[in-house]
Amino acid sequence: MLNYLLRRILVSIPVLIGITIIIFTLTELAPGDVVDFFISPEVEMSAAQMEAIRTRFGLDKSPPERYFNWVTNLMQGDLGYRFTDGRPVAEVISRRFGASLLLMTTALIIGIVVGVPLGVFTGLRQYSVWDFALTGVSFLGISTPAFVTGILALMVFAIQLNWFPAGGMRPVDRDPTLLTSIHHLILPSLVLSLNYIATFMRYMRFSMLEVVRSDYVTTARAKGLFNKRVVWRHIVPNAILPVITVIGLSIPNLVVGAVFTETIFSWPGMGTLYLDAVLGRDVPLLMGINLVIALFVLAANILTDLSYAIVDPRIRYE
Amino acid sequence: MVKKYLGLLLVVILLFGMMPATAQEEAGGGGTLIGAFDIGPGGAPQVIPFFDTAGRTWLSKIWSPLISWNEDMSALTPQLATEWSANDDSTVWTFSLREGVLWHDGEAFNAEDVVFSLELALNPEAATSFPAFSQLDPDDVLSIEALDDFTVEITLAEPNPRLPFFMIFAWVLPEHELNDINQADYQNLDWFYTSPVGTGPFMHDEYEADQFWALVPNPNYWNGAPKLDRLINRYFEDETSAVLALESGEIHFTFTSGDVALRLQETGEYQTFSGPSGVTNYFIFNLRNPAFQDERVRQAILYAIDRQTITETVLQGTAQVVPCISPFESMWPEEYNDYAYNPELAQQLLQEAGYDASQAFEIATYYDSQFHLDALAAQQAFLSDVGINVTPLTQDVPTYNSYFYTGEGWDISYRGVGVNVGNFPFAFYEPGGQPTNDDEPLQGESFPELQELIDAARVESDSDAYLGLLQDICKYQNEHALEGYMWSATRFGTGASNLVDFYWFPAAGGGPYEDHPELWAVEEE
Repeated sequence: MLNYLLRRILVSIPVLIGITIIIFTLTELAPGDVVDFFISPEVEMSAAQMEAIRTRFGLDKSPPERYFNWVTNLMQGDLGYRFTDGRPVAEVISRRFGASLLLMTTALIIGIVVGVPLGVFTGLRQYSVWDFALTGVSFLGISTPAFVTGILALMVFAIQLNWFPAGGMRPVDRDPTLLTSIHHLILPSLVLSLNYIATFMRYMRFSMLEVVRSDYVTTARAKGLFNKRVVWRHIVPNAILPVITVIGLSIPNLVVGAVFTETIFSWPGMGTLYLDAVLGRDVPLLMGINLVIALFVLAANILTDLSYAIVDPRIRYE
Repeated sequence: MVKKYLGLLLVVILLFGMMPATAQEEAGGGGTLIGAFDIGPGGAPQVIPFFDTAGRTWLSKIWSPLISWNEDMSALTPQLATEWSANDDSTVWTFSLREGVLWHDGEAFNAEDVVFSLELALNPEAATSFPAFSQLDPDDVLSIEALDDFTVEITLAEPNPRLPFFMIFAWVLPEHELNDINQADYQNLDWFYTSPVGTGPFMHDEYEADQFWALVPNPNYWNGAPKLDRLINRYFEDETSAVLALESGEIHFTFTSGDVALRLQETGEYQTFSGPSGVTNYFIFNLRNPAFQDERVRQAILYAIDRQTITETVLQGTAQVVPCISPFESMWPEEYNDYAYNPELAQQLLQEAGYDASQAFEIATYYDSQFHLDALAAQQAFLSDVGINVTPLTQDVPTYNSYFYTGEGWDISYRGVGVNVGNFPFAFYEPGGQPTNDDEPLQGESFPELQELIDAARVESDSDAYLGLLQDICKYQNEHALEGYMWSATRFGTGASNLVDFYWFPAAGGGPYEDHPELWAVEEE
């Protein structure tokens, strides 16, 4: 197992380097650079002024030289400074990473806790009124973009009912507490969870319908087992396996963030940071974010592989 | 049973803990004012003087400039400089400074602070945005000297009769706090986020990255201690979120686009602030393309578009049609061609010019607001009616700039340019005036007669004569339809009804302008 783990980590290193080279190259190929971002089209700027800014950001050097410098600094734990506001990239990412993780994890947990049981419920009542109603709602949940549900939620719960704050992570006119933090978290995480709930419910329902018709379920029923026992001992544990895979695929989203929800709720997460980095051609920030995401995904893949061995005794890594 | 009541108690505690915080809670004295001051033109949070891209409304609360616009941007008004004068050829400028001003940390402000700040702003290593906004070439500034504690002299290589207009961008920073820094690292200083010191009406209190910046009153402010207890700039990613926060009562002010401002105004529950954007929206034609070299084609484009109807309907009366690049009537000649909608004349001009109707052009733009997209769609339809085939192409700013400033790869661009009585938005005609791939002017052609007017205006020190020259330039632009002049929009801000003596004006770039923040207050409801 340890050998396997070491081998996977060693293989991940060239993958990681490859990812950074690809991202850097794509950034270079994109039209415009941070100086083009800084030029307000409504203000005139001379060529000399633009060159001064390019020199300050090191953009006067060749792309290979800049990539080499970035890697050298990375080896020393330095991700550089954000072009657009001069803040250290590591500091910006760690701050935003925490905010995204909090929001996305909460939404994912709500999605699992609500979506999976609803899937079980509808899967056991195929073609019932409940099935049609919840299936319709789930389609609505999957197809409605977050910026629509987000704005609607704010209009109803923040403006009309005044139950929740209209965005932000904390109150700005008093010190934050655990309760105020939860208060700010509820609405955006609920909005974000709608899609998760709908998705997990659909998968769970479909999977339940497959398993319900299995021979071993028929056998269990023929043996005279109580319905409750058949459902919770034989159907659900088998039906949930594909849903776990879907949940696992959602995990990288925890660090990528959710652009629309973060924007509508003024939640300072990774989604809006990534978008700002792209729009601002902020190379150090883009490289930093992609490095973090790549590390997270690679680590998640290794952990997933290892967890197979824990879940299924037949799997052994040598 | 016990569990049931415990649950109920928990719910009650949670509900009390979660009661929404309204901005009026802390009102005592002038209360707490929360605004979205960095939404709208200017965009991202503005934190570092000389790296501001706009949004100076907020920065001027902490740092004071030498000079600012007055309330409606019609004239200059003293800030840290009380008087200014020049020698005969406007190459030596003397600024008298305000005495008795204290920095937030209690140190006395003097001329050395001004010298330090201007030298920093012009230092190529610091690469600030000041040279761009001030249109000052650092090489043209021969010296900046403190003649005494409250007098600064700036000596220029070239006459600059309108230097004071650019000193509104000259923030003054504390030399005693920053003299030890490596100026190349100026943009990376933690100081701005942790312990900034200025001479403005408010002092740093709390900064939460990506969320807000809270200030407290400066009791020593030279124009009187502010009434507010606290002033908070809350950050929003976009206007919609800020407007929702305004409607929920969490903030007191935000920038609003025209349609939103009018909707909120109709409710009667808000104060509306408005004024000219100072930005002219227009088509710039790439004159390298033979199709636009004939001025009859350019004039036909103006006749073909019913600009008046677009401003009245599509733009809901929130824009004014302009005859030239200047959005201000004071810079317009007494008589000019208003290019009133006349599709027949447009077609006739196109026919006379031998315009090939099979051509198709893209109109490149960086505007992505509904306001401009609707206007572009209307322009496209009007042009199509006379046989001019155009398609709008929206790009993000870096992409747009990377093409536009080469002078290649585009034919027409719909853009905006900020104009005021001091600046010179004519560089697109001038060789070397804008970065291009060659020595040609960005627009692709020079106009000697116009260049003479521009050169004369640039060094004219008499304000009446200067205004006359600006009118002559406008007349020339209008007659020859050098560009497709469209309109200048009105910009809006919306405030809560309980704001007292609050003032906001959409000065181009966010000013700075005189808004008397020391008088602002929030009335308890």
